[in-house]
Amino acid sequence: MSALDKIDELVWALEELRLHVGQNDLQIGDRGANSQLYFTIANACVRNRVALLYGGMGANKTTLVNLLGCAFTGQDFDHVENLMVTGHPEQTEEKIVGFIDPRQWSCTSASLASSGNEPIEVLWTPWARSQWKVINEINRFPSGKQNLFLELLQKRKVSYAGKTLELGDTCYFATMNPDFSSTYPLDEALLDRISVSVPATQPDFLASLALAKRERDVWELADLLPRLSKDEFESLPDLVNQVPLDSQTELAIITLLRDFTLCERAPSYDKTQLSGGVKPSRGLCAECHYFNNPEVCCWQVDEGLSDRARQDLRLYTKAMAYLFRLSDEPKIEVLRVVAPYILWHRVTPNPALLERPPYYGAKRLEYVRDLVEKSINRTLNERGEMNVTFARAIDGEISPKEAIEELSRYDDPIARLDYIRALERML
Amino acid sequence: MTLKGFMSDAYGGKVRKKKRIEKKTGEFVLGFEDFVQRLGEKPSRDEVEELVSSDDDAIFGLIESASPLNPREEKIRGYLSGIVAERSSKPLNLAAGNFAGAEMNSGVIVLKARAGGKTPPDHVGEKMRGGRIVLEVGAGHYLGQEMEGGGIVAPSCKDYAFRNMKGGWGVVKGDSGNYVGVGNSGGNILVKGRSGLRCGWLMHSGKIRVNGNVGEYLGLMMNGGKISIGGTAGSKAGWRMKDGKIVARGYGPEVGVEKVGGKIFRRTSD
Repeated sequence: MSALDKIDELVWALEELRLHVGQNDLQIGDRGANSQLYFTIANACVRNRVALLYGGMGANKTTLVNLLGCAFTGQDFDHVENLMVTGHPEQTEEKIVGFIDPRQWSCTSASLASSGNEPIEVLWTPWARSQWKVINEINRFPSGKQNLFLELLQKRKVSYAGKTLELGDTCYFATMNPDFSSTYPLDEALLDRISVSVPATQPDFLASLALAKRERDVWELADLLPRLSKDEFESLPDLVNQVPLDSQTELAIITLLRDFTLCERAPSYDKTQLSGGVKPSRGLCAECHYFNNPEVCCWQVDEGLSDRARQDLRLYTKAMAYLFRLSDEPKIEVLRVVAPYILWHRVTPNPALLERPPYYGAKRLEYVRDLVEKSINRTLNERGEMNVTFARAIDGEISPKEAIEELSRYDDPIARLDYIRALERML
Repeated sequence: MTLKGFMSDAYGGKVRKKKRIEKKTGEFVLGFEDFVQRLGEKPSRDEVEELVSSDDDAIFGLIESASPLNPREEKIRGYLSGIVAERSSKPLNLAAGNFAGAEMNSGVIVLKARAGGKTPPDHVGEKMRGGRIVLEVGAGHYLGQEMEGGGIVAPSCKDYAFRNMKGGWGVVKGDSGNYVGVGNSGGNILVKGRSGLRCGWLMHSGKIRVNGNVGEYLGLMMNGGKISIGGTAGSKAGWRMKDGKIVARGYGPEVGVEKVGGKIFRRTSD
């Protein structure tokens, strides 16, 4: 039985044991799946990425991650639960990553030397040493303490009292509630390091009926879940990386990023360079001829996207294609499904649009999903001629001047701000 | 792989030609008030059309929900009615309002009485270029002003109907007010009832037919076209007329005074 067969069995077991009974809100081809479950599993198949489960209390966020932790790492439920750190203002670095072993203060260097032991300095916590790291209620950590995770995700190692622990390849999961009275906003840089964010919703009517039939406790049922072996768990990133991405999907990913990032009025036409409250929703786009054009994405979100978003789009498209057994198929439909979950927490929609129907100020994911659809559809249906013209000029089939003339006819931010500028440098 | 190879692979050799980003179409709007706020002080029909949704039902909803507060908003509502009529394969039934069918190019609008509406609609069919407008209520002032094509049928109208008309036709089934067809240069006008004074004033070309009587100064200073009156004309018909032709059953005093050119005939029988 392959690792993927075991994952399928795990999905089936979670449903049969009523451990996760979410509705099938993802549709790829003719197969439906639950986004909360599948993105969490996808994150277990890659390394050094963070999946954030976002939702109200009791939406099976933490329990699901811990159950998957049992299945993927082969440990029992209690042990996985103990690996978790939970956010609250009194959490300290010592409690999270490690502390100086007090025994060293009662040992003389002579006695240590005579016993042949190395000096004991830092005791790393089980969480710090684990390959399966869960940060529960991340937005209950005060902003200053959130920086610890930023450093950890950035460097992939943790330092304390002059000692460093290499974290190795790790699966990171975080959960968070919506804004409550004792939560703190997440820093934008930390949000950008969260690769995928999935809403965790409350069980619907049928799911509630199914949950009512669950007769045993979660920790007991967790023992019945199939387990992946260590080798199988460690082979997953390679299996995902082996999934090829077709040119159409690669192109759609790059243009999606440029659609969100390009801005005629930003320094270097790059919206990520904006600072000091200057943003599309605060009047930056007034009188810009792209403003109010529903086909153009730039003015509809405040932030641009970093290259990290591109990497995440590629990786999770591959992971989801692997899970759906679509490795040999075009991945564009997978990208359509995956991209909104990769992007929606990274950008701020234009409030003037978000607050109107059909979004009512609340459906941020749907808002970003609509933008993703627009961008991908335009790339596939309307940008072909433009893209081929640019490619022919880059490959020397036509002169840059000729291509610039042709591309000048396109009122498309990518043609005007990316392609023409690149060709002008070739003149 | 070359970049062209990458693009060819991405599009599978099926590149659609000549597609451009559409400008400012299909924006979602909350209602008529929201819609008018997004337009400038003097919006053109093109600007309204760029902003409007592609969903005809949505535009119709906008028109129905509209309560214009000033001539600018009335004009926007009028543009919207023309846009929907052009897109619709069936006649568009609307409550009568000012500027209905303004600058429309095709389609049919039927204007019905407004609930509680006492004032007849002004500027109906202004600058229209095609299509038909049928009024089931009497028209106000400036019916079909500056129209270039298409046709309008109204039970009656007030002053300045078909002013500066350049083409198309207009039928008034009852009586019209003063100044019908002022500056007409190519349109055809039929008034089945009576018409007021200065009918065909400064007319350049085209035709005006009034079945009943007309007031004084018929064809005042006209320099082309033809005016035919079934009844009698008031005093000073053809005053300072330069060219063209006037025919009527009878005339009041001072007919053709200071006439420079043109012809005035008296009809002896229909």
